[in-house]
Amino acid sequence: MLEIEHLEVAHGDAVAVWDVSLKVRPRELVTVVGPNGAGKTTLIDAIAGLLPIRAGTVRLDGSDLAPVPAHEVCRHGIALVPEGRRLFPAMTVEENLEIGCYARPARKLRSQSLERVYATFPILRERRRQLAGSLSGGQQQMVAIGRALMACPRLLLLDEPSLGLAPQIVDQVFEVVAGIHAEGVAVLLVEQNIVQAFAIAARAYVLEQGRIVAEGAPSEVAQDPRIREAYLGQSG
Amino acid sequence: MSAPRLPPALGVVAAGLALALVPALKLPAFYETFLYLVFFWVSLATSWNILSGYAGYFSFGHAAFFGAGVYTTATLATALDVPFLWTLPAAGLVAALLGSGIAAVVFRVHGVRGELFGLLTLALNTKIDGGPGVFLAAVPIPTLFGAPATTLYHLSLAVAVLSAVAALAIYRSRWGMGLFAIRDDEDVAEVLGVPTYRYKLVAFGLSCFIAGLIGGIHAMFVTYVTVAETFSVGLAVDAIMMAALGGTRFWYGPALGAVIVTSLTQSLTGGESAILNRALIGAILIVVIVFLPDGVAGGLRRRRRRAAVSPGRAAPAARVEMPREPARPQPAAPVLACTDVKKAFRGLQALAGVTLEVRAGEILGLIGPNGSGKSTLINVVSGYYRSDGGRIALEGRDIARLRAHRIAGLGLARTYQIPRSFRRLSVVDNVALAAMFGGRGLGRETGRGLARSWLAFTGLEAKADALPDELNLLERKFLDLARALASEPRLVLLDEVLSGLTLTQMTDALALVRKIRDRGTTVIFVEHIMRAVLDLADRVVVLSYGQVIAEGLPRHVMRDPGVVRAYLGKAYA
Repeated sequence: MLEIEHLEVAHGDAVAVWDVSLKVRPRELVTVVGPNGAGKTTLIDAIAGLLPIRAGTVRLDGSDLAPVPAHEVCRHGIALVPEGRRLFPAMTVEENLEIGCYARPARKLRSQSLERVYATFPILRERRRQLAGSLSGGQQQMVAIGRALMACPRLLLLDEPSLGLAPQIVDQVFEVVAGIHAEGVAVLLVEQNIVQAFAIAARAYVLEQGRIVAEGAPSEVAQDPRIREAYLGQSG
Repeated sequence: MSAPRLPPALGVVAAGLALALVPALKLPAFYETFLYLVFFWVSLATSWNILSGYAGYFSFGHAAFFGAGVYTTATLATALDVPFLWTLPAAGLVAALLGSGIAAVVFRVHGVRGELFGLLTLALNTKIDGGPGVFLAAVPIPTLFGAPATTLYHLSLAVAVLSAVAALAIYRSRWGMGLFAIRDDEDVAEVLGVPTYRYKLVAFGLSCFIAGLIGGIHAMFVTYVTVAETFSVGLAVDAIMMAALGGTRFWYGPALGAVIVTSLTQSLTGGESAILNRALIGAILIVVIVFLPDGVAGGLRRRRRRAAVSPGRAAPAARVEMPREPARPQPAAPVLACTDVKKAFRGLQALAGVTLEVRAGEILGLIGPNGSGKSTLINVVSGYYRSDGGRIALEGRDIARLRAHRIAGLGLARTYQIPRSFRRLSVVDNVALAAMFGGRGLGRETGRGLARSWLAFTGLEAKADALPDELNLLERKFLDLARALASEPRLVLLDEVLSGLTLTQMTDALALVRKIRDRGTTVIFVEHIMRAVLDLADRVVVLSYGQVIAEGLPRHVMRDPGVVRAYLGKAYA
């Protein structure tokens, strides 16, 4: 459903993503792993329309996303969980979630979606009147994911959901991601945390310095010496 | 620019003396009043610009300080029978004290910048009494050279000259350069050694002093002082408009704007079309701001530059030789020693007790997965954040509680992942600023000379007079580096110098880092591109979850099971 070909993205004159091609099929969970600074966030922001595309194409169900402004990308069924959560800290949990269904088609399903999010994250129902900024990091991550789900996406973009979380909480977050995928949502998961990401993904890409250096089934990619090289600078 | 030019300060004083003779011509009273108003606005707009234009802190509360002067003179002269001339210094001082007092509080609050500062100053414009106003008609005005009105003319002229000379002196000074740096990027200025708090405070105080002084004079001019007239926001808005029209970047900009606007107002208003004409002035202002973002003065300068582009350029400051390699400290003493350094943000423990040592003359690679605390550590060491606990010693001296500019003065400099140049200072001035405020505290000309040497060292010599926006990413990174080096640090912290560079650019950058170390400067660099780390670092320290999990020779450390686990997970270890 998502097809990226020869994508090039830059911040000003600093090119962060070079010639990246990748695919996400319907209902598929795909992960892009890579060390810090490899261009993962740039890649996902470009898909979400937050960064201009310098070259190449991003297509959703065959139609080009390049001319679609960022606030309309969500109408095409794509929702982004940004790196570092980026909640509205001075709004309550429920208000944060409601922002997620701001676009018209999703707004009609507001109460159903809210029910669904609360069923997935019971703790958020308890905390719904609390300010988002006062939650723990793990709970904030749940709100961020919940907010994306409110848009009833067909494709969920997740940018490093494990960042800054304690290991036990990371486990919970990955369980939730696997659960969302099981409900039929396609997921593009960008992660640094290889082991966890590979455990739930059907296919994996390795990004290094803005280029895809390996791809395939996680079990194969995991054995690829280029992973070690990308992360540790040496294969031995 | 062929004829030798009069020094501007002399020009201002000469113009002042010439204008002082105008009353002797016995022109109709109208001209004296008109010129009085010009001087009045020149003083107000120029004084506003000393804080708001130079340092970028937009104040809408200038009327409050002006008003403090007005009421000081009014009260002293009527209720306490103080002679008028004696009330003037008091008017200036009361305004300056009020301003500095407010500034001392406001500038301590970290978040108060930009619009917030503007709004806060707006709140200052409260009406202090709702009374009937003060009559000053009975207060005697000493006659110096003619009628009492002429005395006010001379006094306001004196204040206008004083404010223009002050604005010029600051513009040319080390202090002025510091204020410009604050306007462009206050955090970076602080890290380069600019005492930002003190500089802003003094600029605010001086700005208020002049406003109070002219306020005291104006009290006698209007002779009937009311709160509503004195403390109007409109007064500040007019001063801002004049400064913006003339050009806030230039010392003479506000004065130019004041002359233009006052003349236009005088010739266009009056009669029934007053409001229409006021709108016309507004329209002129909009046109100027859109087409001349740096004001009329900026437009004039641009034309002059274009005219003098090739041969007539002013000779660059003579190059000043770089100091020899800094004397290497005793190898036994570490340059930097962190002991159990902690920092938490809202419950997230970014640094959970970091202990590490950096040895003299080494290149230390600081690495770790995303969110492991590398940037936090750099920010804590350079003084941008204050640590929650632990000791940080730079050459044996505890710096954990010092402000960033003090740490810079002790020999620490840094660069940024995304280069943070002062956008409105030329490349050479960006570097000169560091030479002036870091380390030895040089004057402006010596600083520029030294800056040229550092630009040559980093290969940017040809771009010395360009603005940072005209450089490409690699050049901006090198500018950041040249700026860090110009403060002659013993230790530089490089935050991801390589990110965003192409492969050839990376080779250049790596060579430069080696060259820096070869001069005897100790280097810490944060980097994600592991091949570069292996290539460049003498030693690496690995952070994970805010703690040091390994340190040692690069190739050994990268095989350490704990490190492999941190980067790749248990399965790989």
